[in-house]
Amino acid sequence: MRILLVEDEAPLRETLAARLKRDGFAVDAAQDGEEGLYMGREVPFDLAIIDLGLPKMSGMELIKALREAGQRYPILILTARGGWQDKVEGLKQGADDYLVKPFHVEELLARINALVRRASGWSKPVLACGPIKLDTTAQTVTVEGKPVDLTSYEYKVLEYLMLHAGELVSKADLTEHIYQQDFDRDSNVLEVFIGRLRRKLDPEAALKPIETVRGRGYRFAIPRNESDDD
Amino acid sequence: MDADTALPSPATKATTTEAPRPFSLAARAALATALVLAAFLGAIGLTLSKTNADSALNALQDRLENFVIAYIAGTDVGRYGRPLMPDATPDPRFSRPGSGLYAVVLGDHGFRWESSSAIGRDFSFLRPLQPGVRRFVGPVDTRMGRLYYYSYGVALDLPERKSVHLTFTVAQTEEQLASSNAVYRRSLIGWLSTLGVLLIVLQLLLLRWSLTPLRRVASDMSRVERGDSDHLDSQYPLELTGLTERINGFIDSEREQRTRYRNTLADLAHSLKTPLAVIRSQVESAAAERPQLRDALLDQVRRMDELVAYQLARAATSGRQTFAAAAVPLAGHAEDLVRSLEKVYAAKNVLCEFDIEDGAAFHGEQGDLLELMGNLLENAFKWANHHVLLVAKVQPQGGRPRPGLWLSVEDDGPGIPDDKIEKVLQRGVRGDERVQGHGIGLSIVQDIVRAYRGELVVDRSPEFGGARFSVQFPPD
Repeated sequence: MRILLVEDEAPLRETLAARLKRDGFAVDAAQDGEEGLYMGREVPFDLAIIDLGLPKMSGMELIKALREAGQRYPILILTARGGWQDKVEGLKQGADDYLVKPFHVEELLARINALVRRASGWSKPVLACGPIKLDTTAQTVTVEGKPVDLTSYEYKVLEYLMLHAGELVSKADLTEHIYQQDFDRDSNVLEVFIGRLRRKLDPEAALKPIETVRGRGYRFAIPRNESDDD
Repeated sequence: MDADTALPSPATKATTTEAPRPFSLAARAALATALVLAAFLGAIGLTLSKTNADSALNALQDRLENFVIAYIAGTDVGRYGRPLMPDATPDPRFSRPGSGLYAVVLGDHGFRWESSSAIGRDFSFLRPLQPGVRRFVGPVDTRMGRLYYYSYGVALDLPERKSVHLTFTVAQTEEQLASSNAVYRRSLIGWLSTLGVLLIVLQLLLLRWSLTPLRRVASDMSRVERGDSDHLDSQYPLELTGLTERINGFIDSEREQRTRYRNTLADLAHSLKTPLAVIRSQVESAAAERPQLRDALLDQVRRMDELVAYQLARAATSGRQTFAAAAVPLAGHAEDLVRSLEKVYAAKNVLCEFDIEDGAAFHGEQGDLLELMGNLLENAFKWANHHVLLVAKVQPQGGRPRPGLWLSVEDDGPGIPDDKIEKVLQRGVRGDERVQGHGIGLSIVQDIVRAYRGELVVDRSPEFGGARFSVQFPPD
């Protein structure tokens, strides 16, 4: 999951970036509105966290510019003012949620997960495709009710594939959304992760949840079952 | 006059209960005009009636003189020097006894002649005059009443170069002169009073016309008060522009100051809360190995955060203003807020219905309205299962310049138990004592409601069974 973080207060930006990375997000941090706009237009993010009080270009203008540039990913506002005028204005400009400073990091993480999930069309926190269930709140995976032990990266890869269940996800997409920029994109680490995931989720090769589309990428092949995903 | 009642200002309202209200401008002007008119018309009346009395007296003298001359002309002297009085009289009243017009002739050797009207009346006060002497006398008091008389002494020549001395006197009682003077005075008074009334009416009309600009200032002022208008923006006469421009300047500077105040507070909030956010995120992320210190720090951060949020929101609440900005219509803002909340609470699938009466508007700062509705609606969205209802009604003005507003937000959530309502509404921020889940939002709502002299009531929604928060702003 790739996140754009635009915050001018350096200590807050660094702490948040570190925390988000530790939780398995790929984070690009910008320190003012212009840098944020440049990054936000160039990189296919899954979500942006934007502080409203930014130098050079206000958060409000940044949100507007990103939406005008056709970026559809969810945007979460951070605001110190807490007044409804700011919140309403931000949400009107195209933001999807807000947090008033000072916030709890746990609260921020929960909002990020919910926004990303909703943006991919999942309304409930548990993503269910056939017997495979991924709980985005607890960050656990079960197959037919039995827990599956995954590493943080394996979990992120599976979460990304399941969020986009049924869609083709290119290798480049997957790398961009899972890893930091400095990752070596030519290596076959991704194939190794996919291979491990397949073995852990489907030891008998009966479900075949992850389909390889030759030369193009992967697709999570089991359809969503929204009806019983509570 | 209504110019007076159309000038409602807080100052005059306050003074009416303590000291009697000073006379209105219209009353003063009317009183002054009435006094001046009375003096002026009175003087005119006196002058005219004096002039008239003088000329009436002159006319009387002329008339009596004419009668005397008529008598002299008709008089002959007989043999032995005896005067022969004429049979005909110059006026029939001389032959009617007691008619008030009398002729008396006195001569030498006790000669005395009286007209028929004078028979039996005592004219002994008359004295003969030397020939050529004429006198007009009056009024004198006699037994016949007050009299004016004209006497003329003449010498009638006899053929034997002798002459007879006679004194002709014609007298008239005062009644006739007095009654003609009275008639004149009556009609004079009648005309002058009519003129006076007409002038006063004209003056009042003129006054009304010239006070019109003042009345317009007053009504423009109450439009500004109601928020229907930004400024005093009619065209005013030169004498008033100094005043109205200064009032406009005052309104502007008050508004500017309020905006500046709000911005300063918002900046202050920003510069206080960002460091708090840094502290919180760093403590949460980094102090895991010292859980006690971490919890203590986080608790203090939470308290500081709530204090800052609450006190700043409180300070930013402007409350009732004399010069309100334009009334804020509810409908658009309510829709914006609900759209926002639907976005944020998308996962809950809450259905929010509106019942906003046409023309429902908040007479105050837009920011205060947004805080009020935003906090109530967010609270409802937070607790609702599926339904939120927002109702707004206009309250009749009842003679006040601004109508009242009734606003309620209800949900189908668990509601608030009766014994907790008081705690929910507890004033001020004592985080540890407040009911969990109802944040400082409700404290802010209460402060705004109080600042606008409104009332907040919490009860159970009759329709949904959840909590209902009703706010009532009386007409103001």
